[in-house]
Amino acid sequence: MKILEAQNALLSNYEVYQHLVDQQVKNKAHNRRVPAQLSTLTTEVITYLRTKPGPLAHQEEKHAYSAASIPLLMEKLREANLRNSLEKGEVLSILNLRPAGVAQLSTAIEDMEERFTEEEQQKIVDITAEVLGRDEPEVVDEENGEEGGDGENTAVPSIENGY
Amino acid sequence: MFMLTKVSDLVQIAPEDFGKASITAIEDNINAKYANKVVQKIGLFICLWDILWTSEGLIGHGSGLVNVNVEFRMVVFRPFRSEVIVARIMSQTKEGIYLATDFFNDIFVPSLELPDGTKFVKEERIWVWKEDDQDMYYDNNEMVRFQVLSEEWHDQTPTGPVDAEDPAAIKQLSPPYRIVGSMKAAGLGCYLWWEE
Repeated sequence: MKILEAQNALLSNYEVYQHLVDQQVKNKAHNRRVPAQLSTLTTEVITYLRTKPGPLAHQEEKHAYSAASIPLLMEKLREANLRNSLEKGEVLSILNLRPAGVAQLSTAIEDMEERFTEEEQQKIVDITAEVLGRDEPEVVDEENGEEGGDGENTAVPSIENGY
Repeated sequence: MFMLTKVSDLVQIAPEDFGKASITAIEDNINAKYANKVVQKIGLFICLWDILWTSEGLIGHGSGLVNVNVEFRMVVFRPFRSEVIVARIMSQTKEGIYLATDFFNDIFVPSLELPDGTKFVKEERIWVWKEDDQDMYYDNNEMVRFQVLSEEWHDQTPTGPVDAEDPAAIKQLSPPYRIVGSMKAAGLGCYLWWEE
């Protein structure tokens, strides 16, 4: 064994996920047996990537990520004319984590407060939501129903209750 | 979190695999050898990504093996420093919190890297973050975000026989690849705390 290049390219979680799912489908179609440790590992990685709060949790139903969404996200971030440009690793983190708010975005970007204004931070979150979609907060019907029944707390449309 | 590593290796196809298409036999061979293995200073190999080049197959004297030189790219799990990833809390001790993903178990967050005001509750064996009179628990099996601080590599090469009488010589085997993380910054810790 000889390592020719330790880091040939960085992969986003979506690319790895799609590769593994494609392999699984292909092997199943040809009724092919793969080495045992590979099939175990494939299942484990797919399970991990599908676990909440990972953005790929609903990929099979919603198809929020696609091959086109990576260049599109980069294009939109470039168009946004940010004061400072984002590093490669930061764009990758945004892709992998899909921050739904400024607090989550701060984990993906180093020294975010110094480098970007508040409007810019919100803009990045908005672009992410636009290109990669976002998970609707879980609608808690029972609770809303009870509150509504009281008559004093009619559901106000907000992000919290899912309207 | 994942990256591609370019590797060249000699693949030996055994006669019982001659029924397979050559490319399939090579793929299976590579995956059997590398999948789920840690290579020092490279990371945890996941699976084959693509094959870049192969030589002609050559049969040597004395065995029926077909020898093929192959250059290929592997998917490797190796988060970069300061990357934020998601993992599950497995167990907790006074020293810190042990995390794992479904496929990788050796992640550790030392107690110093938990937010200020975090206390260890001995009776329940969990860490609690007290912030503004509010108790937030690091429950086991909860999904958390953490930031990669550093990585440790421990070569697993055997060192030869040790004296069974001498307890100091029998060291506990450390994992080949271990990630040390932090949950101090805003946005880290249980993901439910930061939902908006």
